[in-house]
Amino acid sequence: MLLDLSEEHKEHLAFLPQVDSTVVAEFGRIAVEFLRRGSNPKIYEGAARKLSVSSDTVQHGVEGLTYLLTESSKLMISELDFQDSVFVLGFSEELNKLLLQLYLDNRKEIRTILSELAPDLPSYHSLEWRLDVQLASRSLRQQIKPSVTIKLHLNQNGDHSTKVLQTDPATLLHLVQQLEQALEEMKTNHCRRVVRNIK
Amino acid sequence: RPGPGGARPLLVAGQLIDFQWKLGVAISADSCKSLKLPCVTVALKVADGSGNITCKTFEMTVPQFQNFYSQFKEMASVLETF
Repeated sequence: MLLDLSEEHKEHLAFLPQVDSTVVAEFGRIAVEFLRRGSNPKIYEGAARKLSVSSDTVQHGVEGLTYLLTESSKLMISELDFQDSVFVLGFSEELNKLLLQLYLDNRKEIRTILSELAPDLPSYHSLEWRLDVQLASRSLRQQIKPSVTIKLHLNQNGDHSTKVLQTDPATLLHLVQQLEQALEEMKTNHCRRVVRNIK
Repeated sequence: RPGPGGARPLLVAGQLIDFQWKLGVAISADSCKSLKLPCVTVALKVADGSGNITCKTFEMTVPQFQNFYSQFKEMASVLETF
């Protein structure tokens, strides 16, 4: 599968052959760092001064390179397809090789970062529990009623939330049995077959 | 009763529908295996201006509950002077 680069994208990338290959390698490093931690516009200004170009040119160059790397990583295109996609830019063989190396070196990490962008259901973070005995309520005195209070800590898209639940020991036992049953399902032939076929 | 400027006062605060409580003792927890902590749980049902009912539950230790109780005792004594 070949990448379809827009005219604007090609224009932005056209800055790369105008600088040294060490600069392109540095842009590659900056691009991946920005994917990890977010962009920092001050870097563009420093580089622009050193290269005697506008900071917009530097920004477009880095962003163009970032997009090239993320699109290639996202689609998991082969080495050959990457080389063919970049070939249309008319760069030198040395630059093409450098870009391919940047792709292969960073693909795995970029894919890990991209996987975190999928929409998220709240997921389990941790759990606190407490065993109580209820002795009285507004409606009934002289009780001895055991109950379990659970504080469920959840994560969703980086946000933390909590949910407090209360149940009696018999229901808790049932809950544990249901969860154990769900785990057991993973070991059935059917599940094993499906997982094997996906791999 | 109209407020200043003739505007009708909005019902900002909700209306208390139900007040339930229970008293229990916490015996054990994941962070502390041996407890003997009396605890009051209160569940309030409140209706907002548009009739939506929300339930707010909270817990209090005995000292917290004593503070809670003293607020109501104070409110009751002030009401008696009306």
